[in-house]
Amino acid sequence: MKSVLKGMAIAGLSTAGLAAMALASAQAEPLKIAMVETLSGGQSSTGKMFLAAVEFALTKVNADKAWPDGVQLLQYDNQGGASEAADKVKAAINDGAHIIIQGASSAIGGQITSDVQKWNQRNPGKEVMYFNIGAEAMEFTGPKCHFYHFRWNGNAEIRLRAMLTAMKNADVLGKRIYIIGQNYSWGHDVQKLANSYAKEFGYEVVGDVIHDVNKIQDFAPYVAKIKEANPDTVITGNWSSDLLLLMKAAGDAGLKVRFGAYWLDQPGNIANAGATALGHYNVSSFYPESNGAASEKFAEEYKTKMGAYPVWVQGHTIHGIWGLGEALKGLSGKAGDKISVKALAFSMEKAKVSTSLGDVSMRADDHQALIPLAVAVVSKDAKFKTDGTDMGFKPLKLISGADAAAPVSPECKMVRPPA
Amino acid sequence: MTRLRYLLILIALGVFAILPVFLSGNLLNAIIKMMISALFALAFTLAMGQAGMLSFGHAAYYGLGAFAAVHAMRFVEAGAFSFPTPLIPLAGAAVGFLFGLLFGWFATQRSGVYFSMVTLALAELLYTLAPTWNSLFGGESGISTIRGASWGISFGDDAHVYYLTLFWVTLATWCLWAFTRTPLGRLALALRDNEHRVRFLGFNTHMARTLIFALSCLFTGVAGALLAIATEAANYTAFSSKASADVVLQTFIGGAGTFFGPALGAASMTFFARVTSDLTRSWLLYQGLLFVLVMLFVPDGIGGLIAEHSKKVKKGGYKALVLPYLLCLVTGLLLLAGVVFLVESTHILLSDGYIAKTKSSGGAAVPFSFFGQDFNPRSWVTWSIPIGLLLAGAALMPAAMKVTGRAWLHATQSAPAQGETA
Amino acid sequence: MEYLVVSTLNGVVHGLLLFMVSAGLTLIFGMMGVLNFSHAWFYMLGAYIGFTCTRTIGFWPGIILAPLLVGALGVFVERYMLRRVHKYGHAHELLLTFGLAFIIEEVIKLFYGDFPVSYQMPSYMRFAAFTIFDTNYPFYRLFIGGVAGLIFVGLYLLLTRTRIGIIVRAATFRPTTVEALGHNLPVIFMGVFAAGAALAGLAGAVAGAFFPTSPNMATDFGTLVFVVTVVGGLGSVEGALIASLMIGLFISFSVGLNWALADLFGIVGLGPWAQAFGGILTLKLSTIANSMPFLLMLFILLVRPAGLMGDRQ
Repeated sequence: MKSVLKGMAIAGLSTAGLAAMALASAQAEPLKIAMVETLSGGQSSTGKMFLAAVEFALTKVNADKAWPDGVQLLQYDNQGGASEAADKVKAAINDGAHIIIQGASSAIGGQITSDVQKWNQRNPGKEVMYFNIGAEAMEFTGPKCHFYHFRWNGNAEIRLRAMLTAMKNADVLGKRIYIIGQNYSWGHDVQKLANSYAKEFGYEVVGDVIHDVNKIQDFAPYVAKIKEANPDTVITGNWSSDLLLLMKAAGDAGLKVRFGAYWLDQPGNIANAGATALGHYNVSSFYPESNGAASEKFAEEYKTKMGAYPVWVQGHTIHGIWGLGEALKGLSGKAGDKISVKALAFSMEKAKVSTSLGDVSMRADDHQALIPLAVAVVSKDAKFKTDGTDMGFKPLKLISGADAAAPVSPECKMVRPPA
Repeated sequence: MTRLRYLLILIALGVFAILPVFLSGNLLNAIIKMMISALFALAFTLAMGQAGMLSFGHAAYYGLGAFAAVHAMRFVEAGAFSFPTPLIPLAGAAVGFLFGLLFGWFATQRSGVYFSMVTLALAELLYTLAPTWNSLFGGESGISTIRGASWGISFGDDAHVYYLTLFWVTLATWCLWAFTRTPLGRLALALRDNEHRVRFLGFNTHMARTLIFALSCLFTGVAGALLAIATEAANYTAFSSKASADVVLQTFIGGAGTFFGPALGAASMTFFARVTSDLTRSWLLYQGLLFVLVMLFVPDGIGGLIAEHSKKVKKGGYKALVLPYLLCLVTGLLLLAGVVFLVESTHILLSDGYIAKTKSSGGAAVPFSFFGQDFNPRSWVTWSIPIGLLLAGAALMPAAMKVTGRAWLHATQSAPAQGETA
Repeated sequence: MEYLVVSTLNGVVHGLLLFMVSAGLTLIFGMMGVLNFSHAWFYMLGAYIGFTCTRTIGFWPGIILAPLLVGALGVFVERYMLRRVHKYGHAHELLLTFGLAFIIEEVIKLFYGDFPVSYQMPSYMRFAAFTIFDTNYPFYRLFIGGVAGLIFVGLYLLLTRTRIGIIVRAATFRPTTVEALGHNLPVIFMGVFAAGAALAGLAGAVAGAFFPTSPNMATDFGTLVFVVTVVGGLGSVEGALIASLMIGLFISFSVGLNWALADLFGIVGLGPWAQAFGGILTLKLSTIANSMPFLLMLFILLVRPAGLMGDRQ
């Protein structure tokens, strides 16, 4: 009885499927990008920033007709959990997504990159790609690298090098460095790298500390500890409240140090820290002033559409999506063509896009993009003010993608499928 | 009655068995997750509903089960030993049980809120320590593995995972149900109602509570292992207090007083989260409202509601209830539509993108689109819609409650004794 | 010496902040036995009310309005929600207030956005109270400590020295007797709940100007306030103060200590093995300082289940 039912169902479904396929072949196939991002709950702010940037960048990709049948954005909320993300990745693939795009968390990125890898192993010919716009942990382009993962953002290494180079050039780095970071892979990456660069950049690490992630209400004890070590500069990979509280506590205690930070330009930080933020350095993928008129024009363009200047993670996200556009153009597809993600991945390995800050290109060896990085200092002289305050990010140095690049990790064994 | 029940269960199982043929991949995945969370809730209820131990840290055993499964799968993947994939949940069960015994031994020394706090502390400690212990928990990106083929099944297909999950959830549910019939299961109820008396009767209540807690953790471990098999990974976020809280919430939405209630609650809340999270950015607000409303108006949960109906409504009594319930539904939908309109339109109006649009249009009113309709935010017509909906709902509410109350009396009146004798 | 003094100062003020946030819960959870999970969200609400007032009518009106408004919300929550579910037990209260927490957080995000808002103290309060070992000690930290101290003294005197306090304390132990003596029990409970909520609102308005006011500020305190209440002993204001100070000092001191379990093994010559084992053994105390409250609670519950100053189980 059951087998009969099953047989009937299969027959019915396959007829429907055939009909659908016949329809589909006549219809155009847009490239589907699925954004599997944290869009609700405590950490949703970052996810929404990414989303805005992707939406903005896609309008250009579609206006350029990079893919003749258009690029379509689907949104999935991973609710900030890895297993939910796995679920939504499956949902996205079932909905026909070719590319999974995510950035707000390395934990979720880790889940997605291995899910994509497994899917591709099991479904040759129906590959999907993980388009990474923010998971910065080193392992994605190290031991976990694979052919269908592309990272369009920076990572702990290239961003730290850029920061140190710029600060050393401007002679604001000093000789004594303190490292404070959060207790997870990102914090550990920063800690390890900052220790290893001591000789190259001529400084001494006078102390380092790792603390709980976003659990601390009072940073005064940490500030007391930093003060004891008497550093010139404090390097920190902290973000969100951990950065804000650290900076505020340091300012309140009258600690005379410069911070070299990664995430100072997160919206709300400058306004909340107030004058305490002045004189601290930050490395990011975009500041409106970093490349004169070109980048200013781009920032204004973004603002008229989206209501705010592109900040924080948005610069490289937009550049990355444009890189995708270039990769799509490289396929020179015609209307009605079927999308081959494998071909797209090969094309993306050669993708290069010129932006208002200079060229962004993908490195084929480990699928880490070479992106220009901007280092800036919080100052009242900045032309573009942040968060409605009288302060902004005054550029210190713009470092080209090629100069910022770090060597390919020997742990990355990229396996390419036969073309 | 029992015959009918067995028949119903058989039919339900039959339906579940052929579901994969009809369902899309997405729904199939949703059902896998729903079954897993249902099992988690049932296992939790073993400690909570029956023995009165309200654990705030059950995610610990869920996560440990998941990690146990992932490690077992990795060993198989590396060829260290061979172990059939379908039996991997046993690893989760073993680890869940062991840690349930260990942690439970400490926790069950206390009762009431203190018990809850001990379980919470244990889970929180695990949550903090896990991401720092790379070799065991894989840091914050967790451990990933792949389902190996065994018994001639590849386990690459979602349908295979579905049947695997279905089998284990059915088996575990049957075990949990059977447990309530064992002497220890009976003792659990006694422990909940009056621990002192049980002790005076000569039972070692601490041992009994530890054992019951550990059994609950055993099945929680199975649920965790099933999750790990379905996602082929385990991540320390499984230990989070959110996961612990979710199972408590789901259990009570479903109704902790009935056997299948928690499963219903967990399955429906999982489905709710999955569907609404992709529809709106404010889905947590709706979920919060749902919790508050259920607690205020349906304190016994979905399961309690169903049990109440099957116990009290006399034969043919449902006829009298249809119209009043429809009225309630209409009232509820009116209120819901009003709230949704207000929340979603506020969300749009306060977004950066919308503010940018108003600015670029020189301060003129920019219509916002919503449900495929354009609305003018400065027009009274726009705002009269949600307000009208809310007012209509509010106006209907007293009438609906009155009518329903009367119909309920009517539907149950001549069968007062059945509830007591059944 | 410097380390000792600075750590003590920091620890005491952090402890006082913790006490300020959890003082209200001592009343609500400790005395009435209501598991109000949304307490930390009341605190957040207080901060946002303070922020809104600072933007419109000033900082001090905010300090006054925040407890009043949050207290009023407390009255509403107790009268129309919690009272209905109280008879079903703890889990229902928890679930209801869990829902409330979601609602408060999402509504705040709806109107104030996802990012921290710039809630600033008046500029005349932004100065260093004194300088110790070249470290400025901000006046506002002392202000927070002072407010917490006032709350403690006020609560303590109210509960032990006034007629209202006696009735409230009696009502938590022998509700039926108190009711039989002619006191209106529901009103007493509502008043206590409102007072607890108002204290959370006050704490938010005061602390929010120093620590960032953001939609995440409640989550950080969500379970911690329960830890304080339980460690201190249910219903004991003194206990809550001692527990808060203990936690504050404990964290403050452990930040400076790079101890790890591996060092213990080092004493018996197993150091290298422990280092190689990694994981839990090489975890430094300074790293997990902020998870310590849970360890402390575990320890207290197993050794002295009634809490530090509690007298009932």
